[in-house]
Amino acid sequence: MTLQWGYKRAFLRCALLFLVGTTLQMTVGDIDNSFLRYPWGAILAVNYLYLLVVLHAQSDKWPILKRLRDRYACVSSLASMVVMTIVFGLTRQDPETGGIVGALGFSRMTSSWQFNLLLLYFTTTVGLTVIDDVMHIRRRRVAAVLSHVGVFALLATGIFGGADKERVSVTAPLDRSVNAGTHADGTGAELPFAVTLREFRMDEYPPKLYLLDTRTETSSHDFLSVETDGVEAEIDGWRIRAVRSVDMAGRMPDEDEYRPMNHVGAAPAVYVTAESIASGARHEGWVSCGSHIFEPSYLLLGDRYAVAMPRREAKRYLSRITVTDSEGRRENHDVEVNHPARVGSWRIYQVGYDTARGRWSAISVLECVRDPWYAIAQAALWLMLAAGAAMFVTAGGRRAAEGAPKKGKEVVR
Amino acid sequence: MSWDVLIWYAAAAAVCWIAGAALAFRSRKVWPAVTLSLCGSAVFMTFIAGLWVALERPPMRTMGETRLWYSFFLSLAGVAVYARWRYRWILSFSTMMSVVFICINIFKPEIHNKSLMPALQSVWFVPHVIVYMFAYALMGAVALFAVYLWLRSSRREPSDEEMGLCDNLVRIGWAFLSLGMAMGALWAKEAWGDYWTWDPKETWAAATWLGYLLYLHLRAQRRDDYHWAFALILFSFLMLQMCWYGINYLPSAQGASVHVY
Repeated sequence: MTLQWGYKRAFLRCALLFLVGTTLQMTVGDIDNSFLRYPWGAILAVNYLYLLVVLHAQSDKWPILKRLRDRYACVSSLASMVVMTIVFGLTRQDPETGGIVGALGFSRMTSSWQFNLLLLYFTTTVGLTVIDDVMHIRRRRVAAVLSHVGVFALLATGIFGGADKERVSVTAPLDRSVNAGTHADGTGAELPFAVTLREFRMDEYPPKLYLLDTRTETSSHDFLSVETDGVEAEIDGWRIRAVRSVDMAGRMPDEDEYRPMNHVGAAPAVYVTAESIASGARHEGWVSCGSHIFEPSYLLLGDRYAVAMPRREAKRYLSRITVTDSEGRRENHDVEVNHPARVGSWRIYQVGYDTARGRWSAISVLECVRDPWYAIAQAALWLMLAAGAAMFVTAGGRRAAEGAPKKGKEVVR
Repeated sequence: MSWDVLIWYAAAAAVCWIAGAALAFRSRKVWPAVTLSLCGSAVFMTFIAGLWVALERPPMRTMGETRLWYSFFLSLAGVAVYARWRYRWILSFSTMMSVVFICINIFKPEIHNKSLMPALQSVWFVPHVIVYMFAYALMGAVALFAVYLWLRSSRREPSDEEMGLCDNLVRIGWAFLSLGMAMGALWAKEAWGDYWTWDPKETWAAATWLGYLLYLHLRAQRRDDYHWAFALILFSFLMLQMCWYGINYLPSAQGASVHVY
């Protein structure tokens, strides 16, 4: 098995790019893509596309240019991306990492010269292939062409449009307008609109009861989900029964009993009986996860075990907000996980809440994202979906026609 | 329907699959083996559907739940390959792998947990997981086929037809990997505003996708060099394992992935 000279040359080109990247990484440091912010990203993208067209047009005259889009370039650039992605996956991404891994930039792979140079080479190869595909379009290659176009559009958008994305984290308190937040690096950011949180709502899953080992401070693997009164389960040798549950309950300091309470800070409480299957020992009492107002309650089962209820898991949570723009126009939106609100060129995402207060949270953590390249990336991804579907539909047709056994003839293998 | 009854449904499905695999060798007709194997898949799908109803959410959240789909789709992939290309042994292989994954679920049962975190409550959740599991099943089938062709005792070189089957399975599997990746990116944009964040799961998904893409391009150019082809199929399948569950154990990915449910 020998490698043809074409492959050797192409892989040497990748190795050279890696070496140049490593030298730049060691001398210049990480790539700061802020120079690609509007309008420079867009200007460079247009020039890059023009350059690709020129390279393609001139490649028949200049063999060296043709080598950027021949089969050797295609395989070598793909193989180098496989290697770099594996290194990426094996290296913990942490800007603080020192040593040789940090010096080579592998722990900040998306900012490293080696990764970005090889990615640009790969993108260029795909881009030139796209131009070739478009100029020599054939029906049976439609899936490959769609894939090439989709991948190229995604890569080009990522390279030239990444710096234009703006993310602003906003902590919105109830009934107070905020028009500023912070970027990921902690710097302040002003928004072109103000956000007012009118209401924060949360639906929760039913409370769960676990057996807690107080010595090892570990909870049981099994649990009892208290969906209705009277449910029971066997957990680690104890028969646990939820006799009565109260969704919103509270207990005064001088009382033993929980009682229904429609008030901020109310917490779920369950009256539980626990019976040891081995000894028949029986315990009963209230169990509650507590809240920012009430202390949690446990049912002690002797000196080692206890029945405990962790905080209820969020089923869904949403923020009802009013957005007011600079001209005083107001729009109401419901923002929920997976359902961002669209405000002009911005999208507002539900990110979090005050977890200590849970359903009684008086704030909502939102993230405002502006992505000018949104439409191109969306179109490219839908193109990828079309390419995947086309590849599935067309796969096997040509090969099956060449290699499938003839109809009515059994082939023994 | 709960995990407790999995063993009964799995036993019934396995009996059908094993009988189908045996019939593939004994009968000269295709349909008896296909029908029996599909009956097994239907029985297994009944369990998955029952679990879906009982959990009040798609059973796609945990590793054990994805293994159910993997077993189901492996059986379907085996039937599809057998029906189309008449490889008699493929049903034995797909049955063996399906049963192995079922056994993992039986010996490591999961808890009946209805909770589905808000980020997973998306229209993309079900199609994203299903196309990925189907792709994983196809790549599992082609990995087994590659091992068979590479290491078979006759040391015979693979025929064009055999390599054609590898190519087709990888092509269809890669198409589904692309669909899963694109759906995941569209979902991520809706969920947290970024298409791609180079989360460890995403990084290994990209490595897997690129590995199989390299196979497709290499095969188009070096048709006679099957050693490269088989090595790449198996290497890419290893990366797929890393993407599926390997990152749970990979030191560099600990605490760094949002794909932990």
